[in-house]
Parts: sequence; structure tokens; C-alpha cells
Amino acid sequence: MIEPILLQNGYETALDPGFKLIPALTIVAMMVLFLGVGWFFRVAAVDDLWVAGRSIGPIENGMAIGANWMSAASYLGVAALVATAGFYGLGFVVGWTTGYFILLIFMAAQFRRFGKYTAPDFVGDRFYSDRARGIAAFTTLVIAFVYAIGQGSGMGLMAQYILGLSYEAGVILFMGVTIAYVALSGMLGATKNMAIQYVILILAFTIGLYAIGWTQGWSTVLPYLEAGPQTAELIDAFNDEFAEPFAVNSFYMWIALVVSLILGTCGLPHVLVRFYTVDNERTARWSTVWGLFFICLLYWGTATYAVFGGLLYEEPAQPGAETAMTLGVEGVDSFMEMPPGDSDALVALAAQLADLPEWLVGIVAAGAVAAALATTAGLFISASSAAAHDIYTNLYKQNATQREQMIVGRTTILVIGVLVTIVALDPPALIGELVAMSFAIAACVFFPVFFLGLWWENATREGALAGMLTGIVVSFGAILNDTAIPMYTGVEGAVSAELATIVPGLASALVGVPLAFIAIIVVSLVTNDPPEDVKRLVRQCHSPKPMQRMESAEDAAADGGSPADD
Amino acid sequence: MTDERAETDGGTATVGDAGQSVDYLDEEINIFKPATPFMRDNLKMIFGLFTVWLVFIFGPATASYFAPEYMFETRILGGYPLSFFLTAIVAPAAALALSAVYAWYRDKLDDKYGVSHESEGDAGTATAATDGGNQ
Repeated sequence: MIEPILLQNGYETALDPGFKLIPALTIVAMMVLFLGVGWFFRVAAVDDLWVAGRSIGPIENGMAIGANWMSAASYLGVAALVATAGFYGLGFVVGWTTGYFILLIFMAAQFRRFGKYTAPDFVGDRFYSDRARGIAAFTTLVIAFVYAIGQGSGMGLMAQYILGLSYEAGVILFMGVTIAYVALSGMLGATKNMAIQYVILILAFTIGLYAIGWTQGWSTVLPYLEAGPQTAELIDAFNDEFAEPFAVNSFYMWIALVVSLILGTCGLPHVLVRFYTVDNERTARWSTVWGLFFICLLYWGTATYAVFGGLLYEEPAQPGAETAMTLGVEGVDSFMEMPPGDSDALVALAAQLADLPEWLVGIVAAGAVAAALATTAGLFISASSAAAHDIYTNLYKQNATQREQMIVGRTTILVIGVLVTIVALDPPALIGELVAMSFAIAACVFFPVFFLGLWWENATREGALAGMLTGIVVSFGAILNDTAIPMYTGVEGAVSAELATIVPGLASALVGVPLAFIAIIVVSLVTNDPPEDVKRLVRQCHSPKPMQRMESAEDAAADGGSPADD
Repeated sequence: MTDERAETDGGTATVGDAGQSVDYLDEEINIFKPATPFMRDNLKMIFGLFTVWLVFIFGPATASYFAPEYMFETRILGGYPLSFFLTAIVAPAAALALSAVYAWYRDKLDDKYGVSHESEGDAGTATAATDGGNQ
């Protein structure tokens, strides 16, 4: 991300780097608050570490869903993608919001009723297979890793603006704080923190948007509905590719992207675990609705930020400000071609170019750090539970004590945190693109087994294994083809260009998910039906009868399904 | 046979115990073959809302593909191209509204089948008390 910026005529970024006192104090106060809350709600039991004692209510969990969800990719990356890819970029807005509806109607309450600790728990128990559990745990670790790289990258960019640190020092500093507080507080502290982080990030984002609208005389009460004239100006005066559908990418690519992001939403382990933390399935449903509302508050603003940011990039309101556009840097003929260092910082950059006071721009940047931190925390917890609970305890040492699990969990957080930090120093793609890849993996590997596992009791172990392997081959293959291999061998473009247009690494789910579905169904039909207790487990997940808070579907199905009688 | 029972239940059972006669652990789970009245009511709503969702999410892009001029040249709210506004603002709003409708409908369905999530607090306290005793 650094190199291409330097290549262009020595142009670095329009964002003013350097130490700024008030923004720096804001971010230090924020970090102290997170660590304090984490310490106050520190945990010593695995129930609290991984599912927060199943004690969280709908609005609080909704905020946690929002904070957990809205990463640097949402806060910074989506506005960047809309600004540089136009209508195609809107696919990220649609895909990252509307998937929650599918999660709600098909999965949220059923997962709450299943009631274990992790996503691999579901795969392992539902498909009565340790091998399936192992594959799921491995995939969880990979997803957390890929997803978190984008967050580290966002943290580094914002550290440049707020603290005047180098990008690398910023990544290391902020990832260090994140690792410390997740390892300390676990899910209970993280959930309490996520609600706070949500409030901080949404306020920072919205205040920035309103302030730009007011100071430029563009909008007053609801910028989302009032930015029509600015959108028209941006299209008509500067670049109509911005809003023209399929000017940047084809109809097929748009659909493939949206489908991948929607199904990825339904397959992400750190999203699913948010349904294990609530007290009952009604709360699971309403917290999804609240969560989506909180998410929409930000996503409605991303397109507006892209429009405002685009206009300001063409004609900065800040006296003396220059952008790659106004400087006439080679290859940058419109705002849509802004260098990645600018686009990934566009939300904070727009506030700066609108000539807002420094402390206000600092708050917007601090919000991005809160967003990145909250999501990274959620990812690290899902990764540590996959390692400690699913791999160590379930596959390696059945009688592991809680203390051992806590140690393995915390060690995993440390190891994966260090790995993420190292890769984030030189990230392979834009923040939003990196995150989209982890969605494609989640969609291809997890969504089919989750969906059929919940809605078709005759799906078998062999079917699930075949489906997950199909998903792994398609999603990993697509990423290797158009991103990983070209990057590390220096090949221009994809290894196979034809393949990349049908199965792009960002959006492999449109092909991968149907293939995995077919694999599961065909193999399930030719293998023996699942055992009766597994079928009862599935039925218990769908039964409308209430369950006790700490009970799992497995317990209920085993004792005849009448928990009230115990 | 299942159908027959469903009709009888729907016709005669009083609200509140419509689902009490069903042992849910004996009824097959298959998304296309709902085995219980509860499941049938639930899936009817799920598929209905899902269809509406499809229209809002993929409708604008598909319309833009087939009628690009109209979707791009039509300007609303002072300048948004129709395609842009429907995708950026309306699609997320539609998903939110549909989610609220479903959650509200499920609450009503829970009432109809006599399901209550209100006793959770008591259960929690009882568990905590037992734990305390063991330590």
C-alpha cells in the first residue's frame, strides 16, 4: 500500500501526517477506557471468555453486532470503494447490510438454541465428526487472519494522521493494545467494550458527515437524503462513471459480489458467536434487527461520504490543500483514480479537505481506530476459541481444565496477533478487498453446512465434509488465482484471466456456494442417514418451546426435550 | 395426516395451546416440507419476506442492466440517479424494515403457540444459586 503511493511522482498522500495533541489525547483516552472496561469485566471462566455468560440483552447485543461488524473496512473501506469504483462499490453497501436479514430469518434463533460456544462446535456436533470440526476450526483461524490484516492496515493509516507515527509503528502500537485487551478481558469485557466502541464510532462518523454537510452548505438534517444535488454535480461536472451502473464492472460481477458478501455474512464465525451471547432466541432475533439498524446508520452515510469526498478531492475547501487530482499527478485524471493511500483514508480526508478543525478530523480518525479495534477483538476471540476449545480441547485433550483452555486461548490471540501485525506492515490489497476475501471464504466453506445443517436433518457427515472441501477448493483457489500467486510471483493480473472473470477471489461464492450445496446434497443422499440423536438435535434447534439460559440443544434433545421438567 | 391435524388444530384449539400437542423432537426438519403447524406458519412468512427482499436487493441492479438509460437518467430528490439511490439507500432500509416485520411476526407466532421467553430470569437465578452451593 505504501509503495504505489511513493511511485507516483513523489506524491504521498493528501492527508496531513504529523502529531496532533487533541486527537492524540482523544485516542489515548479511548484506549485507556477500553483497557479499563476490559479489566473491570475481566474473566476467569470459559463461559464468560467465549459467550459472555449468555447474559447480553437485545440493544446491547445489537450495538455489539454493529461494532463487531463495522470494521475499518466499513468505516474507511466502503466509502473508498464507492468513491473509486462507483456503482460497483455500492455492491459492498448492499452486501454488507442486507445479509443480516437472511441471517435473521434462517439462522439467528436456531443458532441461539443450539447454544454451544463456537461455530466449529456446530459443525462438529451437527455432523458428528471431529474431522469436520477440525476443518471448521482451521477455516475460522484463516478467516480471522485474513480479515484482521485489513484492520491493522486501517489502524496504521489513522496513526499516521493522529500521532505522526510511521505507518508501521502505528500498526504495531494499535495491534499491541488490541491484543492486550482481548487477551485480558475475553468476550464479556469485549461485549461491554463493543457497545461503547459502537457509540464512539457511529458518533465520530456521523458528526464528521454532518459537519462537512453544514460547513459546505450541502445538507442540514438528513445528509443521506439531501446529497442528491452533490451527486448530480459529481456525475455531471466530473465523472459520470461514478454512478453509471456497470461502467466499472459488469452486471455479473456486481451480482457475484453482492451474493458473496450476503452469504459470507451468514457464514462468519465471529458474527455467529454474537447469537450465543444472548439470553434467549427472542433476544437473538431482536438484537439482529437492532444490529442491522445500527449498521445502516453508518452504511447510509458511506455513499454520502464518497460523494462529498469526491467533490472535495476535486476542489478542496481547505486553503492551500493539494490532492493528487489538483496536483495533476500522472494517471490521476479524476477523483475515481485517487491513489489507494488517499481512498482508504477518504472519510478522514474528506473532513480535512472540508477545512474542519483539526480536533474534529481527529475524532473522525479515532472512530476508525475504534472500529478496527472492535472487529479485531471479535476476530481474535473467535480464533482463540477455535484453537483452545475446538482444536485443543475437543480434538487433542478431552479433559483439558479451564485453566489450560484459557492459556491456549490467550496464547493463540498473541500468536495470531503477531502474525497479523507482520503481514499488515505490507498488506496485499485494499482494506475493503481483503475483508471481502474473508467473506468469500466464509460463504463457500461455512454457509452451505450451516444452512443445510439447520434446515435439512438428513444432511450427513460425509456430505458436510464434501461440501466444505468443495468450498475450500473454490474460494482458496480463486484467491490464489487472482491475488496471492500474482502478488508473490510478480505476474501481471491473474494466472488465468478467464477463471478470474467467472470466479473472482472477492466474490467466489456465486459459483462456490451452489457447488458446495450440490456436493452436500448428492453425497448425503448416497450415504447413511445421520443418527437419531443428531436429528433430534436439529429438531430441537427449530422447536418453539423455550429453553433454559445455559442449556444447549444437545442437552434438551437428550432428555426428551422438556427442559421445564428438570 | 399431518395436514389433517393442522387443520383441526387451527380450527378448534384455543389460542395459546395451538402447538402443545406436538412433540417437536419427532417431526422431521426439511425446509420444503414443514411438518408442524408452527413450522408451516413460520416458513410461509420466511419465504414471503424472502421474495420481497430479493426484489429490493437485486431489482435495482437488474433494472439498471435492462433499462440503463431510464435508471441512470431519472433523477430523484434533487439529483440522485434512480439506480444509485435505490441501491445505496433503499436496499439497506428495505432489509431493515423486513427484519423488523419478521421479528414482530415471530413474537405474534410465539403468542399463538403459547411460547414465552419470560421465565429465563428465574432459571438463571436458580442455576446461580446451585453453583454457589457447590463451591
